[in-house]
Amino acid sequence: MSKKQHTNTSSNGEHGTTSSYVVGFILSLVFTFVPYYLVTGHVLSGSALLATILVFAVLQMLVQIIFFLHLGRERKPRWNLIFFIQTVAVILLVVVASLWIMHHLHYNMTPVTREDASKKLIEDEGIGQIGGEKTGACIGTHTTHKVIIKDGRVSPVHTDAKACDMLTFINEDDATREMTFGTHPHHGVYAGESELSVRKGRPQSITLSETGTYQFHDHLDADAAGTFTVEP
Amino acid sequence: MAHTVAAELELESHEAAADDRVMFGFWVYLMTDLLMFAVLFAVYAVLHGNTAGGPAGNELFSKPLALTETLLLLTSSFTCGLGMIAARRGNKAQVLSWFMVTFLLGLTFLGLELREFSQLIHEGHTLSSSAFLSSFFVLVGTHGLHITSGLLWMGTTLVFVKKRGLNRHMVRKLSLLSLFWHFLDIVWIFIFTVVYLMAFV
Repeated sequence: MSKKQHTNTSSNGEHGTTSSYVVGFILSLVFTFVPYYLVTGHVLSGSALLATILVFAVLQMLVQIIFFLHLGRERKPRWNLIFFIQTVAVILLVVVASLWIMHHLHYNMTPVTREDASKKLIEDEGIGQIGGEKTGACIGTHTTHKVIIKDGRVSPVHTDAKACDMLTFINEDDATREMTFGTHPHHGVYAGESELSVRKGRPQSITLSETGTYQFHDHLDADAAGTFTVEP
Repeated sequence: MAHTVAAELELESHEAAADDRVMFGFWVYLMTDLLMFAVLFAVYAVLHGNTAGGPAGNELFSKPLALTETLLLLTSSFTCGLGMIAARRGNKAQVLSWFMVTFLLGLTFLGLELREFSQLIHEGHTLSSSAFLSSFFVLVGTHGLHITSGLLWMGTTLVFVKKRGLNRHMVRKLSLLSLFWHFLDIVWIFIFTVVYLMAFV
């Protein structure tokens, strides 16, 4: 009799009951279908979608840990829990640091052409001169010219600017614009930029560091096209 | 009478301490395994864009297949839990049937995964096609190997339960097995999200 009571009390604390497993199972189904629907239904896009489905993966993991692994409900001292937290810390360090380092490596080692890559780096990092020689990089802010893309059309179609001004693409359509330079279907490069992904509410700017007249267009919708002239 | 009850209680607490020790040892193994998977995930996250001119994940993967595989594993995790409840109640027949269901769900999962792999390889997308595919096959394949060994373990344990019945030792074995199975479920959730869903973002 005493033995039976003992096993009963331990199974209440440490292990799950049928109802807790059912709750865990239902939650895990919810946390599977919601991100699946978000991805297939194109409800969100880009980094918002990415962040949301990652949050759901973490929620799903918590459900599994709490309802199925019963972590944290062991007898004290909770070595399992402590060891788990340590492991998660190491994992975060390894994964986040690897991604961070590799992202920078990727950024620094993706040349379009050698010259364009150096030019882009010089612009991005604001390097004014190398070995006493002026790089021609634009430092400090100048006038900003806005190009608004709405209903598949660009306005203004032509922009006149001075060197080192900024050109900002603002997308008011729902579709993402892949702005590139030159005429369709060719992809040109301007000042080290080959393509700008412009989403609604996320304007993208370029520094007009190269003089002359250039064309730009949406790679996916050649009608959304325009020109700009940069004078020295 | 009082003496035997005291002795029984002492034996019980010894057994419980032994259970805790075995559990902790197995937990240490699981955590190191998790670290290995974390490294494989990091490799995949870094390399998934390097397709060497070949197709990326969104052209190769099937969302419904990944969803089906996820549902199979989630359900098997659930039935495995129900099997554990039966084991703690000492209900041998229920243990056998719940774990049999778990086994079949796991086997179906493995079958679907192998079919996906063989289709990819048949279409010429192999381990050596690109860095993306190398990291994909290694990550998902390592999980698949764990599932395979889990199924072998489950199969042999079920034979022992059937032959020798449910004693304390057997319940301990089953609880380690269920821990392993839930753990594989957690790893799969991240494969589902990071490999399959993110390919379509």
